[in-house]
Amino acid sequence: MGVFDSFLFGFQVVLDPTNLLFCFIGVLIGTLVGVLPGIGPAGAMGLLLPATFSASPTAGIIMLAGIYYGAMYGGSTTSILIKIPGEAASVVTCLDGYQMARQGRAGPALGIAAFGSFIGGTLSIIGLMLIAHPLARVALNFGPPEYFALICTGLITVTYLTQGSVLKSLMMALVGILIGNVGLDLVNALPRFTFGITELEDGVGIVPLVMGLFGISEVLINIEEEARRELFPTRLTHLYPSLKDWAESIGAILRGSVIGFFLGILPGGGAVLSSFVSYAIERKVSKNPERFGQGAIAGVAAPETANNAAAGGSLIPLLSLGIPANPAMAMLFAALIIHGIQPGPFFIKNNPQLFWGLVASMYLGNGLLLLLNLPLIGIWVKLLKVPYRILFPLILLFCLIGAYSVNNSPFDVSLMILCGALGYLMKKFGYDAAPLILAFLLGPILEQALRQSLRISGGSFFIFISRPISGITLGIAFLLLLSNILPFLKKRRRVYEEFKE
Amino acid sequence: MRGLDLISSLFWLVLSLLVMGQAWHLGIGSVQKPGAGFIAFGTSALLAILSLALFLQARRKKEAVKTAAPRGWAVWQRVGLVLGALFLYSKLMTVGGYLVSTFCLMTFLFWIVERKKLVWPLISSLAATVLTYYLFSRLGCSFPPGLFDF
Repeated sequence: MGVFDSFLFGFQVVLDPTNLLFCFIGVLIGTLVGVLPGIGPAGAMGLLLPATFSASPTAGIIMLAGIYYGAMYGGSTTSILIKIPGEAASVVTCLDGYQMARQGRAGPALGIAAFGSFIGGTLSIIGLMLIAHPLARVALNFGPPEYFALICTGLITVTYLTQGSVLKSLMMALVGILIGNVGLDLVNALPRFTFGITELEDGVGIVPLVMGLFGISEVLINIEEEARRELFPTRLTHLYPSLKDWAESIGAILRGSVIGFFLGILPGGGAVLSSFVSYAIERKVSKNPERFGQGAIAGVAAPETANNAAAGGSLIPLLSLGIPANPAMAMLFAALIIHGIQPGPFFIKNNPQLFWGLVASMYLGNGLLLLLNLPLIGIWVKLLKVPYRILFPLILLFCLIGAYSVNNSPFDVSLMILCGALGYLMKKFGYDAAPLILAFLLGPILEQALRQSLRISGGSFFIFISRPISGITLGIAFLLLLSNILPFLKKRRRVYEEFKE
Repeated sequence: MRGLDLISSLFWLVLSLLVMGQAWHLGIGSVQKPGAGFIAFGTSALLAILSLALFLQARRKKEAVKTAAPRGWAVWQRVGLVLGALFLYSKLMTVGGYLVSTFCLMTFLFWIVERKKLVWPLISSLAATVLTYYLFSRLGCSFPPGLFDF
């Protein structure tokens, strides 16, 4: 079956009423998550994971993916109107979006954010269709040493691309591997670090861990000081950008699509980094860089396009190699495993219905988001007026139900709260949770690959450098550790840190 | 951040040493035949080295001028109370059942921020409890009935 036939088959799958409904629910909840500060896409996906158990894997995955890219759309609303980003990928949109709102141009800012997101999202799906399948075919030749090298490089890249100190990120990746070690040993079924707790023999659950680190901890930070949200008194008219606005933004949208897509593929890259990089590049190539930060429409179009394009890009390593690139993809990885599907090189071959259904649902979802975002902006704005003292108990309740309902286990609830306290302290002490989550998921695969490789080679570590793919990949990891090969990324990190300060 | 880095690096150092000891007990095996504690030992050894590096880095760093005002006791109290309530809920949910324990937790959470009259928190928590019970039961979730059997 060619790409076009497969694509039509995907539409056949997604147009099934159940799948269509799940796609709609996913993008709607995603937009809500993006609009409301307090819970990010990864936490929301964990929260709704149990709701997919009674559905087919295709419907469930379509809904969870919808939450992810829907959140990227919704995040711009709060950034533009109240200078509070609904999620991290929209932080940079505040700079020019809010200034536009102050100048009475909130409508075109929201409009270009929605159109840019649509274009970026759609172009990235085309990239996903073209790259995922050939990459999966290449990955079929991978053995344990290649997987070990790939995961090592992925984890090191994550520590470089996530926010904050590289040293602390590396430490968090190691802590993630250690948490992934909890449970029965893969080879001899010996309990490790279970301390006699039966529930820990299956390992630490991904849902309590993610919801604790990203959901509960975020709520705890927010209740420290209830954010004062002041909606800028602006009339939301003329949502559709003018021809002049389009002329100023189209280059930014196209560049943002490409940057977002490729940075989305990198482990740890994802939506946050791509939005910052595309903004910085746009400012550099602009004829009027001084207008950035003062309400330049390209400063809204570029990051909003890039964060949506990254959503499509980050699906590639997950679906072709079985390696999640960011915490939201880790939740999708967990959902696939729970539904009995192994992501990796055989995923597309063994699950064409799911893969092409997902691709087609993203096309459809992007269209739905455009319809949802522009006419319903008034409703989203009203939602922002709900005080956090009402929202946070509800977010906590949904987290509690989500953690409990995976295994009907109160232990998982306690574990999630413990992870929430840990996540809160990590935020206070300046540690990033993303490397921990990815290392936690990839740790068991890394261990299996290392042990198998050493058995194959009779204990020689030379196996990792004698095979071309693993040798080159580990070489890249080594160079990354030496760090200075990517000064531009370092610069982007500095821009991000300066902005944070 | 200097003080926080010193504290956290020491915490991770102690933790990594404890894990190394535990991994040693599990059996490291050999390079030809790695044991159950092989990865944990190597990982915790690396963590110990990095913790030490962070500690030394923090010691060299000069203390930055404090810009933010220190948080008041009320803030820590609020976070502590919410965490405490959640832990208590996780322990009591099987005893009290979903409806009773969730109603109590939600009343407390709705009340904790403003600490004014109880009428509004009581009504909102009743609505939230009943609605979520109905919605998630329909989605196939089975909640603990507790001693009261509901």
